[in-house]
Amino acid sequence: MKSWIMRLGKTVRHEYLRLIAVICILAFALLPLLTLAFHVNGNDWQFILKDSSFKDAIKNSLVYTTAAALLTTFLALVAAYLLNTSGLRKKKLFVIALSLGMLVPTISVGLGLRILFGTNGFLDLLFGLEIEVRGYAGLIIGSVMTSFPATFLILYDALQYEDKGPYDAADIMGIKRISTFFRLTVPYLRIALISAFFACFTLIFSDYGMPMEIAGKVKTLPMYLYDQFMSSFQYGRGSIAGFVLLIPAVISFLFDLVFKDQSVGEKQKKLIGVEKSFDHVSAVIIVVLCVILFLPQLAFISLSFTKSFPNDLSFTFSHIANIFSNTHGVGLTQYILNSLKLALLTAIAGTAFAYLLGYLSVRKTGRMGKVIDLLSLATIAIPGLVLGIGYIFLFKGTNGAFYGTILILVVVNVFHFLGSPYLLAKNCLNKINSEYEVIGETLGISKGRIIRNVLIPSSVTSLVEMFSYFFLNSMITISAVAFLCSYDDQPLSILITTYEKNSNYEMQSVISLIILFLNVIARVVFTGINTVINRKSNMEVEGWIVLDRYEFDLLTYLEKNGKGVYSQRRLADDLTITLSNADKLVKDLAERDYINQLADGSMEISEKGLKALEPYRVRKAIILAAGFGQRLAPVTLDTPKPLVKVNGVRILDTLLDALYAKGITNIIIVRGYKKEQFDQLLEKYPTLRFIDNPEFNLANNISSAVHAIEQIDRCYICEADLYITNQDVINKYEYRTNYLGAKVAETDDWCFKKKNGILSDYQLGGTDCYQAFGISFWDGEDAEKLKTDLRKVYSMRGGKENLWEMVPLKIMSKNYRLEIRKCHKSDIIEIDNFIELIAADPSYARYPGYEAYSGASAK
Amino acid sequence: MADTIIQAINISKKFRSKTVLEDISFSVNRGEFLSLLGPSGCGKTTILRMLIGIEQPTSGRILKDGIDITHAAPKDRNIGIVFQNYSLFPNMDVYHNIAYALQAKHIDKDDIDRKVKEMVSTVGLEDHIFKKPKQLSGGQQQRVAIARTLVLNPDIILFDEPMSALDAEIKLILRQLLKDIQRKLGITMVYVTHDQEEAFALSDRIMVLNDLKIAQMDTPYDLYHNPADPFIKRFVVDHLDLKVRSIEDSIGENI
Repeated sequence: MKSWIMRLGKTVRHEYLRLIAVICILAFALLPLLTLAFHVNGNDWQFILKDSSFKDAIKNSLVYTTAAALLTTFLALVAAYLLNTSGLRKKKLFVIALSLGMLVPTISVGLGLRILFGTNGFLDLLFGLEIEVRGYAGLIIGSVMTSFPATFLILYDALQYEDKGPYDAADIMGIKRISTFFRLTVPYLRIALISAFFACFTLIFSDYGMPMEIAGKVKTLPMYLYDQFMSSFQYGRGSIAGFVLLIPAVISFLFDLVFKDQSVGEKQKKLIGVEKSFDHVSAVIIVVLCVILFLPQLAFISLSFTKSFPNDLSFTFSHIANIFSNTHGVGLTQYILNSLKLALLTAIAGTAFAYLLGYLSVRKTGRMGKVIDLLSLATIAIPGLVLGIGYIFLFKGTNGAFYGTILILVVVNVFHFLGSPYLLAKNCLNKINSEYEVIGETLGISKGRIIRNVLIPSSVTSLVEMFSYFFLNSMITISAVAFLCSYDDQPLSILITTYEKNSNYEMQSVISLIILFLNVIARVVFTGINTVINRKSNMEVEGWIVLDRYEFDLLTYLEKNGKGVYSQRRLADDLTITLSNADKLVKDLAERDYINQLADGSMEISEKGLKALEPYRVRKAIILAAGFGQRLAPVTLDTPKPLVKVNGVRILDTLLDALYAKGITNIIIVRGYKKEQFDQLLEKYPTLRFIDNPEFNLANNISSAVHAIEQIDRCYICEADLYITNQDVINKYEYRTNYLGAKVAETDDWCFKKKNGILSDYQLGGTDCYQAFGISFWDGEDAEKLKTDLRKVYSMRGGKENLWEMVPLKIMSKNYRLEIRKCHKSDIIEIDNFIELIAADPSYARYPGYEAYSGASAK
Repeated sequence: MADTIIQAINISKKFRSKTVLEDISFSVNRGEFLSLLGPSGCGKTTILRMLIGIEQPTSGRILKDGIDITHAAPKDRNIGIVFQNYSLFPNMDVYHNIAYALQAKHIDKDDIDRKVKEMVSTVGLEDHIFKKPKQLSGGQQQRVAIARTLVLNPDIILFDEPMSALDAEIKLILRQLLKDIQRKLGITMVYVTHDQEEAFALSDRIMVLNDLKIAQMDTPYDLYHNPADPFIKRFVVDHLDLKVRSIEDSIGENI
């Protein structure tokens, strides 16, 4: 008995929370639907069953929805398949382009089509193409465009998990692609295709934004519902229409429940397969699809910059300029703020709630968890329109407190969009080890703490995705919000419907453009955040403690200069950062124990700081020393240029000394001309390794780079004939790939410029530029790219005649974003010809045979 | 008479209608290394989960130092546990994985620092203190898991097949580490395994479970030389003999 009570006590708190969650979903997502039933009476049924406009609406909706859903599913399948198998680069970019339509309200797509087609449409005005699409044609075209992105993403995602092995096998057996498409792809995608079709159908069936613009005289079911509510005030008839609207959604939901494998999280993406060659036909199809899908957006963007459509098509900024003024009677500022406020509140509340639901359903099994799971998923099926009217019935009594405030808009959005973010949360939490809470229990760490300190930090990328989903959808939604928002809280999307009524194309376009603009920014920000997080976590896997640039600079600075008193001013000057940044940086690093601040006011890098720098250490140096050094003849007739002595020191020794001084002893010298002479270096530098380049006299120095290609990784690549006077041109640690250069006013040497912080314009001679010195550092991705590109260029016709640095700096420069590492011109003396040799070491003026060469080499 | 730390009295455990353990009683001596050995599904892990308190027996009592802890919360038992899959907090480095429980108890920062560093050196991870779990090998992760438990000074540490995911070589090293820790700190260890060799290499006593019950609980010596029933003979003695013979065969001499 006692045990039973204790057990109950332990679980009760958890169950309590679950119960509240269940009640919440019931109250805010399902109860509103039920209230619809209470507003229907017998008369409504009698009327509506006889009402021909109701029957017509259903018929119309079914016809165009079916046609459009079939077409969309087909197109989405083709696009997903082609993108997956065509060997196109930058697939992610195409995915974004193809799903761009998700960033604008459906009504804007309708608007775009309306501007494009028909009498006085852009196509008419520009090309004399007068095509009337209002009615069925417009509905179908519009529906395809609005539902394509979501459908495409479902199928594209499903294809990511397909095993690529059979395709490679089919390829080898010489089976045609069209055949593999029908024999492998379609059967594999069977369930996903049906599911995508249903999702697509539901989306189109319940959308009323796009039809508003383009339906013409054809009445659709959502429009019928809207009219019953907003013009005839026949709530009962509207409710019946609402139930009909629910039917496909419910079927879709049940199908997924029965057939779809919910454990997406367990599957592995299977992207490994034979790299497909670039396929032009697929590329063209996809690009054309992108363009067509973008046409409506292009139309309203263009119209936003058109003086007076359709009479005066000249360009103007005035619509945009007027956004923040009251010229049109209403300033848009308030609406923009309303939209952002609603989207942010929805995103914050929604993300928190969906994550909580995910937690409650995934952690600990039990019936209650299943109930939460089912209810959360069921919200996917509820059309916003139906949810909206349900809210009117249910909450009208709370006018002022809840109804009619922004709060109800936030709540309705959260429950309307709950399904997908909930799935994200669920999949994410499923992947996180469930023993953390148990461990926490045994260690005396509370569940709340574990959630805060372990689970949430481990789900950041999913949380960002969830946040993004809520945000973007709140920005574009019309359906539920249209019924519920008060005049003061109107967001931009609702404002479009207002201007639709008085056919103000300019304002509709401008508002659509603003929404698109804001959503693009939001999407970029969210994607950016996740990219940074992913990159960081990938680096952690490789053993990096990730430092940012400033931290890196300060730590290497302290490492180099040792313990000492560094004023903020001095740090700011030496590191070229602001005083306040220097202050913040020091505090931050001291807090994390990367630097020790000692009682006497001095500071030094700590052991932890050194550890943090360790991954950034330069691992090795590759020195290209195979060449003949023609311009130093006759000295080089006996000695390879790197071994020529200047003032008694071999040129190469200055570089090797600098490398050794910075602890870089893993040095590879690629030698060719008089290679045996390099052996003498081993006496002084025993750690040197040699790679022989037998092609040194047939090819340019690219051949040396290619012979050492496997060695390129976190390394310096150096020319061998640099006479180094300042060893600081070599660093112990490097942050990322860079090329050494000295700022000069004018040079006739090879030089480059700095554009947006990046090396560009590599050329012979220039003004106000950086003179290039042959020391560069290569790391990670860049090193990999360099290897590929060197091989590529080397195998091209005439490729062997290149200098290696032409590959990253000129021939394939668009593949690289190289930083410039600055030095002084005097740090390195270049000795390119005999005159310069004599200038550096006058003793060579007496070199036998020099006169015979001097004429040529001075040039 | 040995000093008893745990006493389990007439424990039974049922999951719905399925009985996992039937009326078993045993005691654990202070400072001993006890292994729970048995074929998979014999209830070893269930015993462990009841000792730590994340599972309750259907009937029976568990005493620790004479006090009934059958229904006490895990955190109130001063017992630690190390899982097979390490379960390290993925977003924290080695240092903070170990320090986390102490931080949750609001212990003085310097104290935490001292204790954590001590633990890190006990398990030999000085060079990896700022690494995240995914930067560590399986063996290293298990060391962190051990340190994370040890730092709270538990009276008993439970191990749930902690080495089954590790390479043979790492296993040997970790076994040695466990024995060293046990000798040094005198902590009672209860170790679940299905690996006969491992049990024999580590344990002061071994509890062999079979068919819902304790088949035999004895020192390795007695288990090998005086098997209580045919199951023990087959599961323990024959298995070890076979192992020895196969090694003899492959190196061609009699050991």
